[in-house]
Amino acid sequence: MQATLTIKLARVAIVIAIFALWEVLSRTGLVNSRLLPPASDTLATLADLLQRASVQNDLMVTASEVLAAFALAVPFGALIGFLLAENRYFADVAKPLLFFAFSIPKSIFLPMFILVFGVGFAQKVGFGFFSTIFIVIMSTTTAVESVKVEHLTVARSYGATRAQTAFRVYLPSMLPVLLEALRISMIFNLTGVILAEMYASRDGIGHQIATWGENFQMKQLLAGVVMVAAIAMTFNELIRWVETRCSHWRT
Amino acid sequence: MRAKTLRHLIVVGLIVLWELLPRAGLIPELFLPSLSSTLLAGWNEAAEYGHALAVTLYEVAVSMAFACGGGILLGAIVGSLPRPRLLIMPMVSSLYAVPLVILYPVFTVWLGIGSESKIAFASIYGFLPTMLATAAGIQTIDPQLLLAARSMGATLNQRLVRVIIPAAIPTVLSGLRVGGALVIVGVVVSEMLISSAGIGYLISRYRTILDSPHVFAGVLLVLFMAIAFNTAIRWIERKAAIWQTGMRAGQNAADEIGSGAMQPAT
Repeated sequence: MQATLTIKLARVAIVIAIFALWEVLSRTGLVNSRLLPPASDTLATLADLLQRASVQNDLMVTASEVLAAFALAVPFGALIGFLLAENRYFADVAKPLLFFAFSIPKSIFLPMFILVFGVGFAQKVGFGFFSTIFIVIMSTTTAVESVKVEHLTVARSYGATRAQTAFRVYLPSMLPVLLEALRISMIFNLTGVILAEMYASRDGIGHQIATWGENFQMKQLLAGVVMVAAIAMTFNELIRWVETRCSHWRT
Repeated sequence: MRAKTLRHLIVVGLIVLWELLPRAGLIPELFLPSLSSTLLAGWNEAAEYGHALAVTLYEVAVSMAFACGGGILLGAIVGSLPRPRLLIMPMVSSLYAVPLVILYPVFTVWLGIGSESKIAFASIYGFLPTMLATAAGIQTIDPQLLLAARSMGATLNQRLVRVIIPAAIPTVLSGLRVGGALVIVGVVVSEMLISSAGIGYLISRYRTILDSPHVFAGVLLVLFMAIAFNTAIRWIERKAAIWQTGMRAGQNAADEIGSGAMQPAT
């Protein structure tokens, strides 16, 4: 217990040290403060930005795009992944193809989404879906394969119904892996949507960050970077926390 | 029908459909130009694409040196000392959640829109997986091997050259594969966003004038680059398999990196 507390404190200290270094570098003039505004100024700008209606609107747009892409990609990918894990022939045919599709970079297909959907909501959701679906398929396959055959045999020999097998055997054994899958696919999804917004867009936080960059508004730009990073990390840690709570089901 | 034959048929079918559907007018040429017109567009502008390819390859090579050199060095340090490992690893994997693309505007402000900003961005993009893979590779070395070497009186140098490096190579290589692919993506994506040269720039320029065949030719070129790199590293991996010490943990780590559990989004 003592050791974990020390480690946690040390981690907090590292984060504080990074911000302090940032502040010092800029304040002492070692780095041009127009290129790197002090950390305190950036955080003040961040607080100011969060009050602004336009930034709130951008965050809402991005959030809705991310959620829409997520809501489309997860059930669809999970279904394909499940079929893949359960049907041997289908798996033999499709798996190498999907692995190949997974290993190629998705970002270079972004221009195609603009050619097809134009610049707008559908293009971001489409690209978010496209960058997420493959990882969902692969993770679901892993999740189904993590169910132990012995458990299934035991359940069947005691006469469990299909629903009972699904809820008492499949779900508990798959849950930790599924949560991990959700976490990773959310990372992919968020990156996809933000990249799409930075590339060509009229709104959304990614577009806003790109615009600040083009206008050399360093304070706003860095505040935006800190904001997006904080949101992504918070979500990540949240799911990880749920994961550790569920891990006693892992067999 | 055997699975393999069906798979090959699907691939051939997709390629034929790519040619036929746009020709028959079922898909507008703007959305998907036929395969032949894409290849023709690439062939006609071969000089332009070749020039862009040279720029991109140069940026990829430099970033690769930074990302892989730094990643392997830091990964070896973090992996071999228990304290920094406990301290830093969870922070690094938390950093994974951040979409790194948002850093690119910062680099353009600092370094301009030339090659430097792309190299900086792509190096950071490829750095994390290489470092994590190296750290994992060093950690998963069978302690029995180290113990045996030590009890037979191997010096630190001998242990490093004869035990640690050979045992870590498979994991490091799979880290390089992922990291290298990310470097290629990083360079092309940053060229697509803001730049004045390179394949990504060509793709973006043709996209703004809605010249689909040229866009697809560029995309194909990048795809071939990524696949060629992947194949090359896989070939080296097979050659290096003799060093595989049969450690389950090392294999698991390599699989994990390969399967995307440790791979930032592209």
